[in-house]
Amino acid sequence: MEDQYGRPLEGPKVGWSIPKATARAWALLRRAAFFTNYAVAFLLILTLNFVLPRLMPGDPFQAIYGQEALLAMTPQLKAQLIERLSLDQSMGSQFVAYLLALLRGDLGYSYYYNQQVMTVILDFLPWTLLLTGTALLLSTLGGLVLGIESGFRRGRRLDKALLGGLMFLNGFPDFFMGIVLLLLFGVLMGVVPLSGALTPYSGLAGLPLALDILHHLMAPLAALVLVRLTSPYLLTRNTMITTLRESFVMTARAKGCSEGRIKYRHAGRNSLLPVVTSTGMMIPHMITGALFVEIVFSYPGVGWLLYNALLTRDYPLIQGILLMVTVAVLAANLLVDLLYSKLDPRVSDAR
Amino acid sequence: MHVDVWREVLGSNVGRMGLLLIALMILLAIFAPLLTPYSPRENTSTPAFSRPSADHWLGTNDARQDIWTQLLYGARTSLSVGFGVALLSGFISVLIGGTAAIFGGLYDRFWMRVVDATIAIPDVIVIILVAAYLRPNVLFMILLLSALSWPGGARVIRAQTLTLKERMHVSAARTFGAGWPHLLFRHIVPDLAPVLVAIMIQDARRAVFMEAGLSFLGISDPSVMSWGKMIQYARVFTFLEVWKWWLLPTGIALSATLIGLSFTGYALESALDPRLRDRDDHHDGGI
Repeated sequence: MEDQYGRPLEGPKVGWSIPKATARAWALLRRAAFFTNYAVAFLLILTLNFVLPRLMPGDPFQAIYGQEALLAMTPQLKAQLIERLSLDQSMGSQFVAYLLALLRGDLGYSYYYNQQVMTVILDFLPWTLLLTGTALLLSTLGGLVLGIESGFRRGRRLDKALLGGLMFLNGFPDFFMGIVLLLLFGVLMGVVPLSGALTPYSGLAGLPLALDILHHLMAPLAALVLVRLTSPYLLTRNTMITTLRESFVMTARAKGCSEGRIKYRHAGRNSLLPVVTSTGMMIPHMITGALFVEIVFSYPGVGWLLYNALLTRDYPLIQGILLMVTVAVLAANLLVDLLYSKLDPRVSDAR
Repeated sequence: MHVDVWREVLGSNVGRMGLLLIALMILLAIFAPLLTPYSPRENTSTPAFSRPSADHWLGTNDARQDIWTQLLYGARTSLSVGFGVALLSGFISVLIGGTAAIFGGLYDRFWMRVVDATIAIPDVIVIILVAAYLRPNVLFMILLLSALSWPGGARVIRAQTLTLKERMHVSAARTFGAGWPHLLFRHIVPDLAPVLVAIMIQDARRAVFMEAGLSFLGISDPSVMSWGKMIQYARVFTFLEVWKWWLLPTGIALSATLIGLSFTGYALESALDPRLRDRDDHHDGGI
C-alpha cells in the first residue's frame, strides 16, 4: 500500500521495531492490567464491607447485625451466628469466611425482613431494573435527537433554548426534581399516584396491569430522564459541531443531499459512538440517581429498600445492596470498555 | 494563539449567570448571622408551621425553628464542603498529576495505575457505605469526598503538564537547576490555572451534590445544618401547605448552587475547548 506520493504506508510506523510476539505479549499484559483495575476496585469495596463494621467501637456483632436484631436474639441463635461469621477467630480467618460466604451467594441475613439478604434484594430488584433501564434508554435517545437538532442549528434560537434549558434541568439533584414532579403532578394536579409501583390488591392482569405499572412509572421516570438527558445531549451537540465542519459534510451538501439526510445519516451517525460510551459511563449515575428518586416516590426498588435499611440500621442489608450495586456498576463499565474497543478500531490501536 | 479564558467566561451569558449565582450563595453564607436574628436550632415563640411573615420570612417548621435561618446556615455547610473538596482534591490532583508528568518512568506508571483503579470505583457507593457507619461531619466529609474525586483531575493535569513541560520557560528553569516544586507551582500551575479551576468547579459541584444526598439519606452528622436534611424533613409534611415555603425554597437554593457551578464550569470548558469556540470569535481576531 502506498499513499498519494508513492511512499509506503505500512512499515515505519508505531511498533515497527518490536517483534510480533513481544507486541502480542505486551497487548495481553495491557488487557490484564485493564481487568486488574476492576478487580482492585471490587476488592477494595469487599474489604471496606468487611472492615467497617469491625472497626466500629464496641461489639462487632452489634455493628454487623444492628441494634434491633440483637434485641430479638436468643443465646443459641447468637452462638450460631458467631460461628457462622467466625467472629471467635482471627481477623484473617474471618475475612476468609466472609469471602467464602460471598462465593456461595450468601450475603447475610436481614433481621428486619427475617429473610436472606439475597432473597430480599431479588424481590425489589425488578422495579429498579425497569426504572433505570427505561430511563437510560429514553435519556440516551432523547439526548441524541435533541443534540443532533441543536448542533445542526448552532447559535439559533432553538439551540440556545435547548442548551440553556437542559443545562438548567441538569442542575437539579435527582431527588429534588422528583419532589417537584411529585408536588406538581401528584399533589397539585392529582394525575399521577403519590407512591408505589402498582395499585395494590387491584387484581389487574394483562394490559390494564401494564398501564397501571406505566402510570406509576411515569413520574419517577420523567424525573430521572429530565436530569440525565443533558450529558448525552451535550456530547452529541459537541460532536455535531465538530463533524459539521468536516469536508465529507460539505461533499454531501455539494451533491445535493437533503438536510435531514445530512443531519442524521452523515453527521449524526458520528455522534453515536461517543454517546454509546457515555451511556455506559452514565450507568453508575443512573443507578444512584434511581436510588434517590425511588425514595421520593416510595417506588419499591432497591433504592427505597436501601433507604429503609439505613433507617432501621439493617446493616447486612445495606452491605448486600451496596455490594450488588457495585457488581452491577463494575460489570456495566467493563462491558462498555470492551464494547468500545470493538466499535472503534482506533481505540484498540492506540492501546 | 493566546485566548483570555477569563474574559471569555465573563463575556458569555452562561458564565455570568453562573458566577452571579455562586456569588449570591457565598454572600448569603458569609453574612448569615447579619441576615437573621435567630440561630438555626433556636425554638422561637412563634407557633409551629406558621406562614411566612415579617418576623419569619419563610415561616417556621414543626419545631418552631425559623426556616430562613436554617436555609442560610445550610448554605454554609454546602459551600464549605464544596470549597473544601475543590481545594483539597484540586491540590492532590496537581501534586500527583504534575509530579507524575515531570518525573515520568516508574513513578508515573505507578500513579496512573492507582488513578485507573480509583476511577473504576463507584464513588457514591463507597461514600454511602462509609457514611452509613461513620456519620461524617463536615471535615470528614471533605476528606472522604476528596479521596475519591482527585484521580479524574490528576489524569487531566498530567496530560496538560506533559505538553507544558516542553515549553521554553520550563526547560529554561530546569537548566537553571529548579527543583520540581518550583517547576510545578511557579511555572506549570500558572499556565494550568483555567483547566485547574474547571476541574475544581466540577469537584465542588459533585461535593455539594453528595453532601446534600447523604444528608437526604440521613447518614451525615446529625448536628450539622444541611439543605439535604431540611428537604428530607420537609418532605414528610407535603400533605400540609408548608412545602411552599419550606421544601421548595430549600430545594431551589440547592439547585441554584448546583446550577451556578455547572454554568460556570460549562462556560469555562467551552472557552478552553477551541473546537467549540464560535467561528465569529472576537477575541482571537479570526486567525
